Amino acid sequence: MKTRTFAAFVAPSLVMMLIFIAAPLLYVFGQSFYLTTPVTEQMTVETCTPGFLTQNCTQETKSLPKLDEAGRIVTQTQFVGFGSYRAIIEPAKAWAAISTFDYRALMAIDFWRALRFTLMFTFVTLPLVLLVGLGVALAVNNTARTLRGPVIFVSLLPFIITPVIGALAIRWLFVSDGLLNNGLEWMLGHPVSMFSQGWTIEILMMFYRVWHVAPFAFIILYAGLQTLNHDALEAAMIDGASRWQRLRYVIVPHLMPLIIFVTLIHLMDAYRVFDEVVGFRAEAHVISLQYLTYDFLIPDSTGNRSISRAAASSMLTMVGILILLIPLLRRTWAQHRGSR
Amino acid sequence: MSGPKALRQSFGLQLGSGLFLGLWCLIAAFPIVWIMVMSVKAPIDAFATNPADVLIGPATLAAGKGLSLPDLLFIAVFLALTVRGATRLLPRMVAGLGRPLIGWVVGTAAFVLLWLAAAVWIMGPLLRIDTGLGITPLIGFTTEHYRTVWVERAFWENFVNSVYVTLGVTVVSLTVGTFAGYALSRAGSTLAFGILIAALVFRALPHSVLVTGYLPFFITSSEWLAPVLGDNAPTLYGQPLAVIAVLVAINQPFTIWMLRSFFQSIPSELDEAARVDGCTHFQAFRWVIMPVMWPGVITTGLFSFLLGYNDYLVTSLLLDASNQTMVPAIASFFNRETTTTDQVLAVAAAVSITAPLFLLVMVFQRQIVSGLTAGAVKG
Amino acid sequence: MYLRKLALAGVFALMGTTAMAACAFENTTPLKSLTAGFEAWKSATGAMAECGNFTAELDQEFATKQAAAFGASPSLYHIGGVANETVVPLINGGLIRPLDDLVAKYGANLQPNQLIKVDGKIMAIAMMVNTQHLMYREDIFTELGLAVPTTYAEVLTAAEAIKASGKVEYPLGGTFKAGWNLGEEFVNMYMGLNPVMVNADGTPAINNEAGIQTLEMLKALTAYMHPEYLTSDSTFVQQQFQQGKIAMANLWASRGGAMDDPAESQVVGKINGAAAPAAVAGGAPATTLWWDGIVIAANITDAEAEAAFQVALEGIDTEMVTAHSDDAIWLIPGYTPGRLAGGAIATATATPSAPSYPSTTTQGLMHGALGNQLQAFFTGEKSAADTLAAVEADYTAAAKEAGVLK
Repeated sequence: MKTRTFAAFVAPSLVMMLIFIAAPLLYVFGQSFYLTTPVTEQMTVETCTPGFLTQNCTQETKSLPKLDEAGRIVTQTQFVGFGSYRAIIEPAKAWAAISTFDYRALMAIDFWRALRFTLMFTFVTLPLVLLVGLGVALAVNNTARTLRGPVIFVSLLPFIITPVIGALAIRWLFVSDGLLNNGLEWMLGHPVSMFSQGWTIEILMMFYRVWHVAPFAFIILYAGLQTLNHDALEAAMIDGASRWQRLRYVIVPHLMPLIIFVTLIHLMDAYRVFDEVVGFRAEAHVISLQYLTYDFLIPDSTGNRSISRAAASSMLTMVGILILLIPLLRRTWAQHRGSR
Repeated sequence: MSGPKALRQSFGLQLGSGLFLGLWCLIAAFPIVWIMVMSVKAPIDAFATNPADVLIGPATLAAGKGLSLPDLLFIAVFLALTVRGATRLLPRMVAGLGRPLIGWVVGTAAFVLLWLAAAVWIMGPLLRIDTGLGITPLIGFTTEHYRTVWVERAFWENFVNSVYVTLGVTVVSLTVGTFAGYALSRAGSTLAFGILIAALVFRALPHSVLVTGYLPFFITSSEWLAPVLGDNAPTLYGQPLAVIAVLVAINQPFTIWMLRSFFQSIPSELDEAARVDGCTHFQAFRWVIMPVMWPGVITTGLFSFLLGYNDYLVTSLLLDASNQTMVPAIASFFNRETTTTDQVLAVAAAVSITAPLFLLVMVFQRQIVSGLTAGAVKG
Repeated sequence: MYLRKLALAGVFALMGTTAMAACAFENTTPLKSLTAGFEAWKSATGAMAECGNFTAELDQEFATKQAAAFGASPSLYHIGGVANETVVPLINGGLIRPLDDLVAKYGANLQPNQLIKVDGKIMAIAMMVNTQHLMYREDIFTELGLAVPTTYAEVLTAAEAIKASGKVEYPLGGTFKAGWNLGEEFVNMYMGLNPVMVNADGTPAINNEAGIQTLEMLKALTAYMHPEYLTSDSTFVQQQFQQGKIAMANLWASRGGAMDDPAESQVVGKINGAAAPAAVAGGAPATTLWWDGIVIAANITDAEAEAAFQVALEGIDTEMVTAHSDDAIWLIPGYTPGRLAGGAIATATATPSAPSYPSTTTQGLMHGALGNQLQAFFTGEKSAADTLAAVEADYTAAAKEAGVLK
């Protein structure tokens, strides 16, 4: 294929990605090194607000932003280098905590708390998603043909359902008087509150994620099983391989590229975990890296956003994902080299 | 199972595998079934402490709304017919038409209209028979929340917006993606591979960063586009088209990866032969590749559909009330100043928006599996 | 029976038509509004829509885009709905217009009390006040012979007595959801002890005796609450009341009406309201007074502004209030408080009176910092002093970025 034809075919897709992904990314990267603040001045202002019957007027000294002739807020932008990154990581405090093995002090810093949970979430859910997905795929493949249709349909439900709604459905089951919470209380014989301490919330968040993503792993692996060569299985059988050995040495290697595909997608998605934090109202106990960014970005009720710190925190999230992906990307790259 | 004799399994293993599958199906379906039950009960019942009250719905029954045994029977038959129609009849009809894309869209739309008509004009009167005969209802059941949501709260407007955004995302995504995916599958250059890797990295970006990056630019777009477009410069904020563009871009990496591996499974000798016969690349694509690409495109399209239909973050931040899609509209039912009634309405709305997804999977289930099997994913 | 229904339907139809014709003038300018989405705003924007050519955007998260949308030129919305806190960025950025001329021309029916004045200029028109009041199960209190608490110390005693009686699952409810809600609880209690949260020079002032006392009192209250109190918002507390699971809560006035709604509530008629408790005996109710009202964008033409102002006034007139009396504590003539509004009015008219929530950037930043950091104290991760220090650090970082602290 000539470069020009190639360019013509790829251009629409590439342009969209450049405008809507690469450009904001560069913008955010740039922002993380600058700090823009409005110029303010102190003024004493009388404000009158209503009581129920009378009006309350108070004299307040406020810091108000200066406006220019066009009525826009005057701002000043200064280069802060890695200042915003330092504000998030708090290297001095973190190092002090690490060198004295003070886990609680380290976890008192939001970034490290978020990193701890994000990593744990990613690495606990990954094997579970793969195992459940593979298990269901094997079981479905093992079941009578007439049953497969309905079973696949039911299995796909958690994946297709709108995540916001799926999370709510699970939350309602476990919230104070939810059905499953009552069930747990009955089984354990004492009151249970799933949403009153960090570790139970974490378990629920992971449960939800596995519930939501395992069907994706299942359908991909199930499709892979359809192309499995039965001769290879029979040959292994004749060699005296046990059922376990056949799974270990024939089926799993056959599925390996798909397992890696699912791993890749899952690592990316799990590392930017966010919906669960909001959906399960976990922010009091557990936060994730993307939640941290979001928290900086959302203006508080007086309209202030910490753009600079948000940009820095999202860059840190990016770096984390890249580190996780590098082994997989290198493998894909090597394969590409080899296949040429 | 009709596999080779050597692979036949012991009873224990069969049982274990069956039990595991049963348990999984229960876990997979239960939360969804439960919100369906909640959505047809009066507010007091739906959020009752005792699960039996949620199931039976005494307050709903007391209000004179319930289902008797014959009603349940009618519903079961109706649902069975629906499933049969969606999984057997519809695909056969579409296959008979011979034009996959248009066939599916028209066929599905016709099926939905027919189903709604049957639900209102056939099921409605059937369910009223028992009141005429004086049979006492067994369990509480009311469709009033659905009526409130769809008619009074004008949820159909959100539905129309969702259809618009979702179809837009799916169609644009696939059009743009098939070209790119095809070119990438046929080009072995390092540049092509670099694009793929870059796309993968783009996919890893946290969305909240992207979206909040757009917001100020979208709101002021009529100012900064004015030098280029003059007075007609649009405000991108609140434009479904802008949202479609954003969602397409976010979805592109996944789309081109999937389509690329699918196109790789189509032997390149096919289009090379066409090229030898004097076709341009585009003609070869149009006449040789397009006829055989549908399984992969349908599978990839389903993923685009899910993304467009289920998205919350982008649509909630970039659309305003007049053209909001269903998911952010539901989330606004749940917001902090709501009442219990609002919450049950939200549950009803939530169940309603899963219905199209149910239908989608029912109808396309085989295509998904066959598309994936044919190589839409090769890692 | 059937005839009576028919007659009733006729009456409603008539009422409908009169309501439709209610708007004093026919609006021809296309107008949009951006407000919060709670009941009072639904009623007000519904009444505005009767004038025609009007679309309302009701969004609980409106604050995230309001400043940006009003800053566009031309502004994306003409009418805005704001409260003490959310009006700050609009005033600071010069995004809303002074209303003195329009009030002089069209505002003859407005009460002087409704005019929000900043630096002598009318910047907003308030339609309602909101504040917290103590809601309690009157039946339980009578049965146990308890007096309605007037201070938080008494709340604890009453809660202990109710707990001992086993009448309800949890004696207390509270809007302690981590984030804004928890911050609001802190602000309320703290202001009952010490009105200064931020010094005049912008430095924080909460790491003191009053701060510690506030945290300890809040923690003491949580002992009587559902253990998931850090996820509990006002919807949840309202539901707990309706299902008869709690006996007392200091809750927003706007939540009163739903307690008597037979479609949701199992305790109709059993709940009553009283003034919010004070932090110390003889002090002001430990709460803050909020107002909600309308503003008109600056970046629109004068003709649009004039139409928008007239439409907005139609939305908050006597007719709307008489039709939706229970939705809020209205400031509009014609309002007759319902049974459950009594507590909130007692809060608002108490002597000494509760302060208005301060409309300043620094207060908003402090509220944000409190919302971010306080939960660590309640989960037991940090001591009270450490938590307050963390709040001050969080506030200082944000205040420097916002330019209010050098």
